[in-house]
Amino acid sequence: MSGALFSYFKLDHLSGFVTLAMFIFCVLTLVYSFGFMRRKEHLAQYYTYILLTGIVSIATVLANHLIVLLALWGFLGLTLYLLIGLGDKDSGVVAKKTFIIVGGSDALMLLGIGMLYYLTGTWVMDKIRVPLDSALAIAAYLCIAVASFAKAGAMPFHSWVPDCAESAPVTVVAFLPASLDKLLGVYLLARISLNLFVMNEGMNIFLMTIGAFTIIAAVMMALIQHNFKRLLGYHAVSQVGYMILGIGTGNPVGIAGGLFHMLNHAVYKSCLFFTGGNVEYRTHTDELDRLGGLAKSMPFTYIACLVASLSISGVPPFNGFASKWMIYQGLITQLTTANYLLRLTAVFCLAAAMFGSGLTLASFMKLLHAIFLGQQQNRYPEKHIDEVPATMWLPCIVLAVICVIFGVFALQIPLKMFILPAITGVTFTGIWYAGYSTLLIVLALGLGAIVFMLKSLRPNIRQDASFVGGEPIDLSKGRVTGIEFYNTIKEFGVLKFIYKKAEKGFFDIYEQGKTLVFAVGRFFQYLHNGVLPTYLVWTLLGMMGLFWVLMR
Amino acid sequence: MKTVNIIPLFVIIPLTAAFLIPLLGRLVKRFSEFAVFLSCAMLLYLSLHARILLNSLTDKILVYKVGGWVPPFGIAMVLDGLSSFMLVTVNLVTFCVAVYSLKYMNKYTDKPKFFTLFSLMLCGMNGVIITGDLFNLFVFLEIASIASYALVAFGTEAEELEASFKYAIMGSVASSFIFIGIAFLYGFTSTLNMADMARVLSFKQNAYLVHFVGVLFLMGFGLKAALVPFHAWLPDAHPSAPASISAMLSGILIKTLGIYALARVFFNIIGSTQNYLSVLMFLGALSMLVGVILALSQWDLKRLLAYHSISQIGYVVLGIGLGTPLGILGGLFHLFNHSVFKSLLFLNSGSIDYALDTRDLRETGGLAKVMPITAKTNLIASMSIAGIPPFNGFFSKLLIIFACVQKGYFGYASCAIIASILTLASFTKVQKFLFSGELKDKFKEVKEAPWSMVISTVCLAIVCLLGGLLLLTSLQSFMGDAADVLLKGTAYAKDVIEAALR
Repeated sequence: MSGALFSYFKLDHLSGFVTLAMFIFCVLTLVYSFGFMRRKEHLAQYYTYILLTGIVSIATVLANHLIVLLALWGFLGLTLYLLIGLGDKDSGVVAKKTFIIVGGSDALMLLGIGMLYYLTGTWVMDKIRVPLDSALAIAAYLCIAVASFAKAGAMPFHSWVPDCAESAPVTVVAFLPASLDKLLGVYLLARISLNLFVMNEGMNIFLMTIGAFTIIAAVMMALIQHNFKRLLGYHAVSQVGYMILGIGTGNPVGIAGGLFHMLNHAVYKSCLFFTGGNVEYRTHTDELDRLGGLAKSMPFTYIACLVASLSISGVPPFNGFASKWMIYQGLITQLTTANYLLRLTAVFCLAAAMFGSGLTLASFMKLLHAIFLGQQQNRYPEKHIDEVPATMWLPCIVLAVICVIFGVFALQIPLKMFILPAITGVTFTGIWYAGYSTLLIVLALGLGAIVFMLKSLRPNIRQDASFVGGEPIDLSKGRVTGIEFYNTIKEFGVLKFIYKKAEKGFFDIYEQGKTLVFAVGRFFQYLHNGVLPTYLVWTLLGMMGLFWVLMR
Repeated sequence: MKTVNIIPLFVIIPLTAAFLIPLLGRLVKRFSEFAVFLSCAMLLYLSLHARILLNSLTDKILVYKVGGWVPPFGIAMVLDGLSSFMLVTVNLVTFCVAVYSLKYMNKYTDKPKFFTLFSLMLCGMNGVIITGDLFNLFVFLEIASIASYALVAFGTEAEELEASFKYAIMGSVASSFIFIGIAFLYGFTSTLNMADMARVLSFKQNAYLVHFVGVLFLMGFGLKAALVPFHAWLPDAHPSAPASISAMLSGILIKTLGIYALARVFFNIIGSTQNYLSVLMFLGALSMLVGVILALSQWDLKRLLAYHSISQIGYVVLGIGLGTPLGILGGLFHLFNHSVFKSLLFLNSGSIDYALDTRDLRETGGLAKVMPITAKTNLIASMSIAGIPPFNGFFSKLLIIFACVQKGYFGYASCAIIASILTLASFTKVQKFLFSGELKDKFKEVKEAPWSMVISTVCLAIVCLLGGLLLLTSLQSFMGDAADVLLKGTAYAKDVIEAALR
């Protein structure tokens, strides 16, 4: 009996490291929750759902049978819905939106899996290998990919992530959209792209385009946010773009980079959300303009947040750089292919990815400045702000340390142990000695400090109007909150128009779908006028139609 | 007692209850409640017993000859896989609804009349399921229909009377066409026994008349099942009835009078040709989409649920219309599941109406705090109807969609997917507007529904949760036998005649 049960599951290198990561995040989230969720309502429900999510996620990743995968995957949508529903008073709306997008994509996955069975005649995943040469195979691939996109939060199925980041409890956001859902979504994409289907160049171009577009569009949105949870939410979308880009390159180093980025992202993004949770726990606000100057009172939180911010921006020697560099290598490798279109896409994507990385750094400068640096102006509800309890800062520090270790010893620890066994044939085109470079970076920083200290040796330094974040500062207010950074971008011609539309939900597939369905619904409602003779006429017309069809 | 003698009890017990309640209901206090509870409990037990009984038989069929007359001369009552499946479904839901009604009907006056009509409707449904005679089927169908017209009007407010009037007119039109169809078939085959009719029809070559009758039946039973474009009575009638009756109407009546009769006539008597199946699939897909799109823009909770009934019936018809083993199994499974979760949803709407005296979604909100059990059961039912694992609706939708794909009908499969997504959207809306958000001040004093109402909803919720287990091999005969009966097609005639001669 147990043997029969085990035949539905399979452990290989890919599912193995994802499982391990999930387990670690589950533990860290639980530890963090002990502090953060104290004195909150619905604790029994909360812990039940969190544990269920953890267990079911692991089972999903291990599933080797399409229907088992589908059922477990769909169940995760339900737990996500229930967990978001535990948040603040707006969370009902967000939970609804999330579940419609995620659950709807699960329904598409059902269709895709049905088609896959139609093509192969087996439910067992490791026996399936379908080339993308027929319309049906492509449709099946896309249907399943949609589910993975929606779960991971890639565009155009991303719009639930920022909303959810804002309204759901921070632990839930750190646990699901930031780490577990990313692992699941990208795992599924990797699984179908690597094992279930044989990719072709067209599909690679498609994936890379989606990835690059997601990176840029989401980071542009992140730049203008005033709410730090929402800002982090947009970055959670943007980073998915890198993972999809990596998998989309279709060569081993790119795919390995995508998977490595998935792991790294889960580490630093949940760290960022945890630190955000710490800030909210003490100050009871998540608006950037009401925060500031917390670095002194919350040192551990600040350090963790700084490390994670630098990681997500891809600054060496942290882990974000290591994985982004591999993705770039994957793209550079693409430049040698014969297909002209593929080469062109790779060039554009490379530019987009690097540009996106720069914008990410810019956006995190704003975040760090607004929360931790500068002066604090508004009084916080609690007069004296302390560091949060150890159960809350410890997970942050652990994650920050992982960021450093995965960056400095990228090749020795995460790649050798987890990623490379899963992907065969990774060859590095460029050479990156992480340890050596770290040493150089430290030296350079030291040198910079010395230069800074030597400034008193030169008396007449040029004075200029001060500016920060690309904007001249109005010093009369006596304080720079950080929210006015990058306002120029927001007011810039075409971008202004796009931003306006985006804030109205024009690019939100959910809003658009709603408009469409209600338009059709109004037409049907117009037909249902409640007059009995009309209804009788339909009935008779229907019957005549049947006569015509069946008795011709 | 001879085993075969349990068959007529399915009609006799509710009929007796319907007879005794008006006689004694006013004289003996609480007699009507007691009689209804007892009869429904007995029927539930008997239907389960009948199901287990069938398992012990090799040919899975039992025929009771009314008055000892051998068919085709007398009326036969047939218990086969399909009937027993329907009996279990109907009597399970009825039992829960009856328990619920005991308290819920305090909202209305004149309980004895209500329970009389309730028992009559049940008698009609059980009769339709159990009978082996086509004219008898019509009689029982009319008993159930007329009882339901009266029950829809039970509140006797303007809205309810109007709905009942519409329902009665359209229902009568359908009944007339069914009746004409039966008359034609009788003229053509000189028999009314369903098995014998199927046997005679298989010898006749001239199929033109049969097609004509087929259309009449499709329209008639299609109207009873509320298939688009014959559905227009349903969104008025189902919300107007008392909640427990809405649960019966949406949960089982449209399935017994509509789907069961349709399937029985087309698969077992006329014989399902590809033309009929294509029409069924088309109507199913159309109902699925139209129903759910209309449901999305509703604000009246019960009206929303009524439109979803149209949509979910579409799934059942699509599954059965596929005609493949997997499709029929999926269709029947969805029929069972829909009975359970839709009656649960209607009962919950009744609990909310009972507590708040409103069913407008814009007025409610935050009820999870004051009605925690209703919130949970409604969540389970909503997730079931939306097809979220691990609830029962997921598995039946899965079967139907896979069956579509298996036969290469990708268009219909996509329709089912779209309808499923929209259903999910609609029910997340229901959950949001009922249970999340801030509780309004005027509802601060609201209490959870009385325990007898809660118990029946909890029972149905448990069935929703565990419904997927029916697909296990050890329990599969419940639906598998029912699907086999339909798959056998007109060979049903031979089985019935052999069993009758035993």
